[in-house]
Amino acid sequence: MVDEKQLRSIIEQVLGEMELPDINREERHEIHAAAADTAVSYKEEGAEEGVLPDISQVNVRTQYLVENPRNKEAFYEMKQYSPARLGIGKAGARYKTLPYLQFRAAHSAAQDSVFSDVDPEWIKKMDLFCVQTRCENKDMYLTRPDLGRRLNEQGVLAVKEKCRKNPQVQIYISDGLSSAAVMANAADVLLSIQQGLKSFNIETGTPFFVKYGRVGVMDEITQLTEALVTCVLIGERPGLLTAESMSAYITYKGTIGMPEAHRTVVSNIHRFGTIPAEAGAHIAEIIKIMLEKKASGTQLKM
Amino acid sequence: MRETIISVGIDIGTSTTQLIFSRLTMENRAGSHMVPRIVITDKEIIYRSSIYTTPLLSREKIDVGKVQKIIEGEYEAAGIDPGQVQTGAVIITGETARKENAGEVLKALSKMAGDFVVAAAGPALESVLAGKGAGTDRISKENRAAVVNVDIGGGTSNMALFDCGKLTGTSCIDVGGRLIRVEKGKVTYVYPRLQKMAAAHGLAIEEGESVQKDKLWSICRWMADQLAMALHLKPEEKEHEGFYTNGGKPLPNQPVIEGITLSGGVAGCMKEEPEDPFCYDDIGVLLGRAVRENKELSGLKQFAAAETIRATVVGAGNHTTQVSGSTISCESKLLPLKNLPVLRIEEEDTGSAESLQKSLETQLELFCPNGEQETTAVSLKGDGFGSFQKIQELADVLAQSSEEKLARDHPLVVVVERDIAKALGQALKVRLGQKRDIICLDGIAAGSGDYLDIGKPLAMGRVVPVVIKTLIFNT
Repeated sequence: MVDEKQLRSIIEQVLGEMELPDINREERHEIHAAAADTAVSYKEEGAEEGVLPDISQVNVRTQYLVENPRNKEAFYEMKQYSPARLGIGKAGARYKTLPYLQFRAAHSAAQDSVFSDVDPEWIKKMDLFCVQTRCENKDMYLTRPDLGRRLNEQGVLAVKEKCRKNPQVQIYISDGLSSAAVMANAADVLLSIQQGLKSFNIETGTPFFVKYGRVGVMDEITQLTEALVTCVLIGERPGLLTAESMSAYITYKGTIGMPEAHRTVVSNIHRFGTIPAEAGAHIAEIIKIMLEKKASGTQLKM
Repeated sequence: MRETIISVGIDIGTSTTQLIFSRLTMENRAGSHMVPRIVITDKEIIYRSSIYTTPLLSREKIDVGKVQKIIEGEYEAAGIDPGQVQTGAVIITGETARKENAGEVLKALSKMAGDFVVAAAGPALESVLAGKGAGTDRISKENRAAVVNVDIGGGTSNMALFDCGKLTGTSCIDVGGRLIRVEKGKVTYVYPRLQKMAAAHGLAIEEGESVQKDKLWSICRWMADQLAMALHLKPEEKEHEGFYTNGGKPLPNQPVIEGITLSGGVAGCMKEEPEDPFCYDDIGVLLGRAVRENKELSGLKQFAAAETIRATVVGAGNHTTQVSGSTISCESKLLPLKNLPVLRIEEEDTGSAESLQKSLETQLELFCPNGEQETTAVSLKGDGFGSFQKIQELADVLAQSSEEKLARDHPLVVVVERDIAKALGQALKVRLGQKRDIICLDGIAAGSGDYLDIGKPLAMGRVVPVVIKTLIFNT
């Protein structure tokens, strides 16, 4: 068996070798600088000092690895229009090692954000109470979407007991498929929606958090709180571009079993998409229009 | 979502007056489940007027009545009612802008032309519009090169330099086809400054003397040399400095110019040279020939301009209007607002609430000439103000300073570059409530010294048209 130390030195060696021909000095410097912030340095008998670069910190938008390009600037400029992994070069018919590892890292981050929970400390700090759907764990959540659309018994009781009845607008937060997205964006979006609604003189109910929530559970919440408009801030299924994208689903007088087309959605909320504060302001206006027109989803013409 | 608006461009130049109508198409480029992003997707010219000689009452006065008649006639010929025109610009260019009643003409025309047709003058803006009308920005972008457009008109030559599509400088010199006029074999007019400089250069010319073709040819070649000097293609001689219009600045030395497009009336008659060089009663044809034969200028890569004599008017009609970001916050009853001077908060002042407030309040006082408040547009980049918390801090300063320094009945107008205007607008509304009207736009980069015109909302209130009248490159 290879022990941990040997493994580290092998990885270090591989990274060292692969970096040299692929990355120019500035990019390498950038990676090292990013790594210095994130990696934990360690010290062992006989081990070298230093840190491994954190490949997940490489900005895919600025990464350009094609060797001997015909026109690097022109390609680079076009690349700026897309977040896709373009201009990453190749080794024979395959990926280069660095893009391949980055791809694996992004995939792992996506999986992590699905399988991890929202930190209870974060929920506490946001001053939210927490209820759960009928799912008992992540596995059940992933395999039984139907159970993620209903609150468990305690959840129903808690919402009935703690939430203000008949608010114009009920907002809540749910983990959905990305806990990372919720922790990165939900605070700013919530504050911004609340401020926006206040500027329109629209009152809101008591916000809370739903664990193992699917979008559909919002309809049960609408019925329990008797809110006119219900808005959930929920983590999107993560992709390889970002694991931190969040959506807001909004309904006017939702009911259990209503058509999905009656939901209005604002997606792509993250720091490289629509920034959370501005998204919240936009959502507040959508809610205002919904209340005026008494409709949501495809029935709402905006 | 798809919406079209009609834009007008009116150019009253030294020698000609022209008009175009164009149709601007706006579309939402974001998916239906995303925050909207409305952009201008197409610009199509739907009507081009005839080219009229600019009517003058005297050398110093434009004939307002006649100009108005021309414009009215063209609206009628195009079948367009001023009420249909939603945006556009009237621009007074070249020597004409120095006439004593230029301001009065602009005012009269922008009133009758349509609700949000703005008035503008100034050599820097004119250079940019001509460059865009000639398509030089596009040519420079597609060829990834530094390309200059030289718009040679009657009174001035306007230069706009684009590098990879980006504007990097403008300049304007007094070289034009109507600076010397001839009629029936006699010289009838010489632009006084040119006359003085030419005399110093050994090319004395007097009004009333008979036309000496050789001398006029020498003057034209000398003027073409001035263009080459202005583009840094030829060492400057001592008279060169005197050619800059209103003592303006030369083009920057960098980037080195690789290509050129030529527009304007003089470029128009270079393509097909008329037999009689004096058929327009001026030296335009000769000047065109001199430019074409100039060694330095023809050493540059030559690109064909999309428009020649109409470049400036196309620029005024097609390229003055931009749309704001699609998440904004504004009281539409206040719009349109015209000629708002820009109060720019520079990046270095946005570090702390104190420096921000100081910069804002000191400058607000400057916009109070004679103790009377002008409505100003507060402009900042907005980098670093993306989080909800930072937006609150910014709103605190803006609300507090406007309460202290902005007169009661004035709206608070804020324009930022970064996409934060809706959140900022709502934050301001919570703070100021009914006390003050708020207009908060993003996607707009306006610098100190610029003027802003903000039109009525379009695309179901999502965006507003904005015209930035920039004076950056020439003071």
